[in-house]
Amino acid sequence: MSDSEWITPKWGATEVLPLPGRFNSMVRTLAADRIAATGAQWKDIVFERQFELFSRADADAIEKEVLDSGYRFDFSATVSLESEPEKYRRPEREISGFTEERSTDGRRQVGVGDNVISKPQTVVGPVALISTIEQVMDYLTDGVPAGTIAVIDDSGGTLTAPIIEGFAGVICLGGTVRSHLGILAREYDVPTLMNCKIDELRDGDLVELEVTATPPASDAYETGDIGHARIWLIENEG
Amino acid sequence: MAKVNYRSLLETNNYVRTLSDTTYWLCITRTVQESKLFPMSPYMLLSYLNSFYRLPTQLREIDAITPAEELGDRAREVSLKVNTVNGAWGMPTFYLLGREMLMNWGLIRPTDAVDDVVDVLDFSRRFNLAYHRNDGHLTNKEFGDRSQFLPERTLQVFEADLHGVTPGDRLHTAATKLIAQLSQFAFLAHCECRIGLHNSGPYNFGNDRQMIVRDFFDLTEGDYPWLDGIATRLPFNNLTIPIVFKDTNFHLMDDWASFEAEPSYNASNIVAIGMYSSDALTDGYVPVGMDNADTLADTMEQYREILNEATTDLWKRIASWSREQMIDAGALVYSSVGKDFAHLAGTYRQDDWLQLDERVQRFKPLMNDEYGRDHLGEMVGLLGLPHQSANEYTMARYSSQSRNMINGIPYSVLTDDDYAPTVGDHFSGSSSLPVKTGLWTTSAGRIDIDDYNARARGFTPAVLDGAHRYRDEEWVKWHHGSEQADELYRLTQRGSRNLEGRGSALRRADLPRPGDTKGDDHADR
Repeated sequence: MSDSEWITPKWGATEVLPLPGRFNSMVRTLAADRIAATGAQWKDIVFERQFELFSRADADAIEKEVLDSGYRFDFSATVSLESEPEKYRRPEREISGFTEERSTDGRRQVGVGDNVISKPQTVVGPVALISTIEQVMDYLTDGVPAGTIAVIDDSGGTLTAPIIEGFAGVICLGGTVRSHLGILAREYDVPTLMNCKIDELRDGDLVELEVTATPPASDAYETGDIGHARIWLIENEG
Repeated sequence: MAKVNYRSLLETNNYVRTLSDTTYWLCITRTVQESKLFPMSPYMLLSYLNSFYRLPTQLREIDAITPAEELGDRAREVSLKVNTVNGAWGMPTFYLLGREMLMNWGLIRPTDAVDDVVDVLDFSRRFNLAYHRNDGHLTNKEFGDRSQFLPERTLQVFEADLHGVTPGDRLHTAATKLIAQLSQFAFLAHCECRIGLHNSGPYNFGNDRQMIVRDFFDLTEGDYPWLDGIATRLPFNNLTIPIVFKDTNFHLMDDWASFEAEPSYNASNIVAIGMYSSDALTDGYVPVGMDNADTLADTMEQYREILNEATTDLWKRIASWSREQMIDAGALVYSSVGKDFAHLAGTYRQDDWLQLDERVQRFKPLMNDEYGRDHLGEMVGLLGLPHQSANEYTMARYSSQSRNMINGIPYSVLTDDDYAPTVGDHFSGSSSLPVKTGLWTTSAGRIDIDDYNARARGFTPAVLDGAHRYRDEEWVKWHHGSEQADELYRLTQRGSRNLEGRGSALRRADLPRPGDTKGDDHADR
């Protein structure tokens, strides 16, 4: 019956992002077909017969159709990639992003970021790239080597929860100074740069963080006035 | 129960648009949540759906026993988890976002569940009005991003009893380390989201000083099954730490209960500090280690050690979880933001609040990380869902786009009849997490849930009993020094080191001066 068909909302277009557009369209089409097939009044099916309109098997089928087309999903949590590797893209490490070749006082600048807390002195130390639960577990077992500057591609506060206090500094490749990691860095008084763009760094590279820089103003992320704290490579491990 | 008429729909739709605008501003200007440990976006989407299916029934049961405005009164007197971010903003917003998702999928229409929407928003509005009674606003945003719900009598006790600190002294160090540890643990216990932390204020403490109140909730055994056996040496489930800053202007306290300050928050500007606890069974704030500065430092150091160990224990437990367990835990943390309303009313049932409804479980296969991230971004950032568009002449608050995050109920529901008014009140659900076996940590000790509910049902804080409930600060203005006003103030002053029994006539200049206070206090107010 016509009253049960999906009506494209006036003024509405499809979703901007591809995967929501694809999934949501599939759900909408399926639901509209099922509703029409019932021949019943909307009010009698919308909740009373909701599993007929959309079931877990339908969700499974949508996911399968997309995967069967060769599509693989981006992951955000490492557990997703590890538990369902067949569904996710295994990306190259996304560290790069700072390409300007600059030098200051004979040092090569390898990145910029947003300083969380203004400190009286810069911080120098060897970097450790941390992105997995296993690495954190190792640090929990063996301790964080003194002076370590963590390079973390996660602005959340939980991956490195039990070890953050042990770092001499943090380079975070995402988020803002308001992210959970930024909040914790401020609370723990750990010198930290958020939202960093850096050249590729390797474990053990000696870097200097300009944590003497002024933190971004409260409207900086709206005005774009960010990225003023510099990162220099002092000594390359290789 | 819902009275759906033109007036109630006008009020409902006004509140819907307020939440829509405010939430857009929060999502765009504050920060993005992400985690390499937890699949956050998938669990957030599922939590919205769980709220949509369960919250109306949960709130109706609570409201019938303890009306929402009475719950707002409770939350205004002490620090409860049903606060700015959870009870005031998150609960109605998560519910409405679940509705948006189902509308977008064509599985409901905007007129469906109209009784539920009206009831949830009516509950939320009444709670917020009572919660904000002292500042007279509905939300922090409406108040210019400020949160001042505590009465003078409580603030005077804080001002008189907080212990003075200077950077580097033992108490200052103990306090800053404990706050860091509490923040860390709260993020972890709440699966990376911020709802275990809460900030309110600022309050003017004179001489270019401001106080903010920092709260931390669900710190040990209680509702979350994953906290069974965690931090069990901690005697309180919630801790409140009022902090006085010098030379710092907290110019923003948003509806996520997070702040901005100028200059930025810096522990070296802390000049006084204290610690309290409160929950559904406390008659006001309970001082914790407040006898003197050394005792407070001892207590903070001890709690910090307990929570440091607990953070490691909990992290190891969570690190062993499957993806589905992480998603279930996060979704349940989010969808249960209103659970402490049930604790206040004595209606709490574990399976009601800590299970994902079977109507939600059916969507799980859609919730891969990319869809979660992009669908959430589409819904709360880009506002790109087809039905989020409005007519081309409109300009939304904050974005100036002809799009709204959350959509209202068509008034045609008053004349149409082809809609289903409610999702129904039958719950069936499950969780992939281990079943809870521990007790609940309360100010009455570690007790089981039946005992907790029974105690809650029989409890009314003294300051809200009888006529006291209506003795607000407009009344105090004209009745200070009266027998009734003194009685009210003395109830709040119970347990105060420096103000016990002092009554209602005090002003700031009358409070004990530094050096005159009990407990080796050197607070420089």
